[in-house]
Amino acid sequence: MIGSWYLLIPVLLPILSGLAVCFLKPFEDMKKRNLFTLCVMVVNVLALLPVIFSGEMTLTLFTLSDSLPIFLHTDTLGKIFAAVMAFVWAAAGAYSFEYMAHEENQKRYYSFYLCTLGVLMALCFAGSIVTFYMFYEFMTLLTVPMVMHTGKKDAVAAGIKYLIYSVVGASLALLGIFLLSPYVSTLAFTVGGVLDAAKTAGHEGFILTVTFLMIIGFGTKAGMFPLHGWLPTAHPAAPSPASAVLSGIITKAGVLGVIRLMYCFVGAEFLRGSWVQTAFMCLTLFTVFMGSLLAFKEGGLKKRLAYSSVSQLSYVLLGVASMHPLGFTGALLHVVAHSLIKDTLFMSAGAIIHKTGKTQVAELEGIGKQMPVVMWCFTLASVGLVGIPPCLGFVSKWYLAQGALNMTGVTSFFSWLAPAVLLISALLTAGYLLPISIRGFFPGHDEEGKLKFFEKCEPTHVMLIPLILLTALSILAGMFPGSLVELFSALADVLM
Amino acid sequence: MAILPILVFGPMVMAAVCYLIGRKSKQGRDLAVALTGMATFALCALTWNSEASFSLEGFCGLGLHLKVDGFRSLYACIAAFMWMMSGIFSHEYFAHYHNRNRYFFFNLMTLGATLGVFLSDDLYTTFIFFEIMSLTSYTWVAQEETPGAMRAAATYLAVAVIGGLTTLMGLFLIWHELGTLSFTGIREVMATYQGNITLAVWLTLVGFAAKAGLFPLHIWLPKAHPVAPAPASALLSGILTKSGVFGLIVICANLMPHNAAFGNALLVLAVITMFLGALLALFSVDLKRTLACSSMSQIGFITVGLSMMVLLGEDGSLAAYGTVMHMMNHSLIKLVLFMAAGVVYMNLHKLDLNEIRGFGRKKPVLHIAFLLGALSIGCIPPIGSGYNSKSLLHEAILELVHHLEAHGHSALPYRITEILFLISGGLTVAYMTKLYICIFWEKNPVHQEKYDGMKHYISKTSALVLLLSSLVLPFLGALPEMLMTPVGVRSAAFFGQEVLHHEIPYFGAANLIGAAQSIGIGLVVYFAIVRPLLMKKVDGVRVYVNRWPAWLDLENAVYRPILLDFLPGLIVGAVRFLCELPERIVLFLRGTAFRKRQKLHPVPVGNRITYGIGTALNSIAVALNATFLRNRPLRTDFEYVLDASWRELTQGTHRITASMSFGLLLMCIGLFITCMYLLRQ
Repeated sequence: MIGSWYLLIPVLLPILSGLAVCFLKPFEDMKKRNLFTLCVMVVNVLALLPVIFSGEMTLTLFTLSDSLPIFLHTDTLGKIFAAVMAFVWAAAGAYSFEYMAHEENQKRYYSFYLCTLGVLMALCFAGSIVTFYMFYEFMTLLTVPMVMHTGKKDAVAAGIKYLIYSVVGASLALLGIFLLSPYVSTLAFTVGGVLDAAKTAGHEGFILTVTFLMIIGFGTKAGMFPLHGWLPTAHPAAPSPASAVLSGIITKAGVLGVIRLMYCFVGAEFLRGSWVQTAFMCLTLFTVFMGSLLAFKEGGLKKRLAYSSVSQLSYVLLGVASMHPLGFTGALLHVVAHSLIKDTLFMSAGAIIHKTGKTQVAELEGIGKQMPVVMWCFTLASVGLVGIPPCLGFVSKWYLAQGALNMTGVTSFFSWLAPAVLLISALLTAGYLLPISIRGFFPGHDEEGKLKFFEKCEPTHVMLIPLILLTALSILAGMFPGSLVELFSALADVLM
Repeated sequence: MAILPILVFGPMVMAAVCYLIGRKSKQGRDLAVALTGMATFALCALTWNSEASFSLEGFCGLGLHLKVDGFRSLYACIAAFMWMMSGIFSHEYFAHYHNRNRYFFFNLMTLGATLGVFLSDDLYTTFIFFEIMSLTSYTWVAQEETPGAMRAAATYLAVAVIGGLTTLMGLFLIWHELGTLSFTGIREVMATYQGNITLAVWLTLVGFAAKAGLFPLHIWLPKAHPVAPAPASALLSGILTKSGVFGLIVICANLMPHNAAFGNALLVLAVITMFLGALLALFSVDLKRTLACSSMSQIGFITVGLSMMVLLGEDGSLAAYGTVMHMMNHSLIKLVLFMAAGVVYMNLHKLDLNEIRGFGRKKPVLHIAFLLGALSIGCIPPIGSGYNSKSLLHEAILELVHHLEAHGHSALPYRITEILFLISGGLTVAYMTKLYICIFWEKNPVHQEKYDGMKHYISKTSALVLLLSSLVLPFLGALPEMLMTPVGVRSAAFFGQEVLHHEIPYFGAANLIGAAQSIGIGLVVYFAIVRPLLMKKVDGVRVYVNRWPAWLDLENAVYRPILLDFLPGLIVGAVRFLCELPERIVLFLRGTAFRKRQKLHPVPVGNRITYGIGTALNSIAVALNATFLRNRPLRTDFEYVLDASWRELTQGTHRITASMSFGLLLMCIGLFITCMYLLRQ
């Protein structure tokens, strides 16, 4: 058994290393810095293992007042998110070494990259809503420089847009914390909610409204309509490894926020059957459809993927909104699936941009002949995102749909609509992803009737290994999701 | 039993192996592909008389369930046989193709997936392999990468994806309603089920019907076949469509066993498919397109059999026999016919009837193979194997008619079905006669000498494969009691029907009369319609013309406009407006309420500080110029220099720091207020 102080390691190790990268002389050298960064991320994943496999732990960091401790607490939900985040963060970090090699200010990038990892770990294990909020804001601020990295005008503008959206969303959440605090017994996350029945009597309508605002607030990070606008702007501007983690990981923090709020703060019982559930469901359904449709119409590769993220994240939120164990299991499965798949897609897109400089979908003719391994990963990930078996995207969709069909509390209209929207969105997903692979692998003939020839320009192993690893995992996890499903449905049963 | 996963996953592993071999040696790869086909066929044959099941719990969530029994081992054998034959044939056919490695990789992947479909024991497993099969077979259609091929392939993929997702929706609902997807489980639950599951069944049906080529989802068939390589066409038409039929059988036998409404609706679709396919085939002037439309028509015949089985309920054994026999016949026939078409194509690289006419003259191997195939599909007794199965289907329709009339009901719709059945049979005879006479009897007005000189038009191996495949057919046709009845017997259980115990009069008077009627109609159509109406004289030579109006194409007239233009145009505008709404509001506010005010006292150059320091420095400079620096006066205007450097300094960092501090500030204020608020309590 390890002491609760151990929790400081996954949090402080990356943060201190990030500072070290920033300020220590030896890390001016690229090779040393990359090696160090990789080691820190791998050690972080390993250091997380004891936390994951031991019981629940609590560690108070400091107290703002006697009634307001800032503390960490490890529960299953946090462990799941932390594991996914740490792993994918490391993979994307390893990938970035080649991509960033020719960029300026790498030191700054890796410094923020490592610090964000530490903050994310703290965010996952946050024990109270104030702690969560604090690290949530840290995360936003630390990721802004990654979006602005290139320093070009559009990147800076995108960074500011990202910041403003995030701050607006977070302040909605903050406002909610103020307004709800009179009605709660504690601010610590508790399964089943912390609302004090005696205090809430008569104020249900008010509390529901505030909860809805908070959902929108946390939903901002998860790209939920109406505050999704930052995603399609920030992703194309950021360097590809940053887009990958932004879309794959940072957005998941928003999802975690919504889950914490609904199941550990306000409580599932209070929300089930209320108008908030219906309204939340409507927003997610609309976002699913909107994201897919706009991605279908979008010509820029990374922007298309960004819209796709908007859509896919609302799959997750839809599962959360269904408030049914099956749907919740599906949501968590989709968190894993989307993290793996979207990272693969962004990393492939990054490899394409890095090697060929092409950013528009229309220019990608024959790309599969140029970089077959990258495009194979891209294709398999696409197939997974569409939800074609045996990828994890299929399994998660199955659970999401079953959750929607079984859910109670919302009019039965939604039980039908939700799976239908999921499938229409899947169709659009096929429509915006598969043609890229098709044109990439089947470039056709030139004017003289000869098959077009393309020079190979595969990136190095540094880029390929993380890419292949994530792709393989997304398929293997889809084939054998047994343990994941068991874990998630056990958690879902506890939370419901 | 370990043989089942080997059958399914073995070819997939071999696909990768063959790919790797192919990078070193083309010959070795072709050999490996052929050997894989043979080994798979041998393994399938081993399961002929055994019953075994295999399950891998938790695979993809609900687990993988495979089972082999009478019908499934039959179809696994047929699939493996067709792959083996077409695989060997491919060696010559693909000799001058590019990207062969890709083709063979996906070819073997599809073999594994197809066996997975035919060996599946629950709809979940069926669906998993069905989807894999749809995706991997895409590459067959797109293989040549011509614009036509790419367009047809896009249609194929779109139909497969839309169909697959609709089926998935159906499976969601079935699982939700019944709680099981295993074939036997569904049958047991349905025996006592009271609810309404019609919608779920129809949704599930869509994907399978699309793959089978049932109207109105047949659109991919006539487009995909002419552009796909011939061995792939043979498999697409002979086996992949049957995987769709497999799904239909599962639905008919387990979900809707005695549902008259369902049977009637399916019958309508089946009859339209059967008749329309035959009609399209008659009008077509492209060899492979004719065969593709013929496939569609034959799938219609098979589905008529299925709907008869549903309508007849417990007495549907005869219909079930007819259905499975016709499936088998059609698979084997199309293998022969498409390989024959492949022989034509690999020599001439043309498929237009006017171009290829006369090619078959003086080429006995091709002639025999094609003739045997044509006789079989035209149902000419006694060597046409199609005759036996179609007779049973015909008998099943008559059985239903008699049954209804004996109970005093009107049987008019089924009388009409019977008439259309016979006419479609006649049309089959007509279009096969058209092809046969065109290729093997008529002389080519231009190239006949060149065609006659092509002595080495086929390699010995390919000729052997072609002959072997075609020589199966007359045996099936002439010895139905020995070869066909056992097929029905072993399949009855899968169709949910009893085994028939009485003798089946294959060559009874009624059946022979039916065949004679069809042949009669066919000859009349050929001589009264095809020759006078579908051919015209150009420069004294009669040529085949396509009289089918070009606008009458379901895909181009309906599906593409609706799905690609109308719907997106309608919805995208609305969605985009909503999507941009928050930003539009911000822009609107910026333009009105928060417009930046004009500066009241503009500073001449730069801001106050730079201006002040700059002015001071300038005056010092003037003083210096007047005194110490009289020889080398300073000409710098410090107001401008300072302003420029100031701007340079601020521009890069200003925005970043401003926004960072803004965010930090807000967070601090937030935390502060939280603390204050909580402390107060």
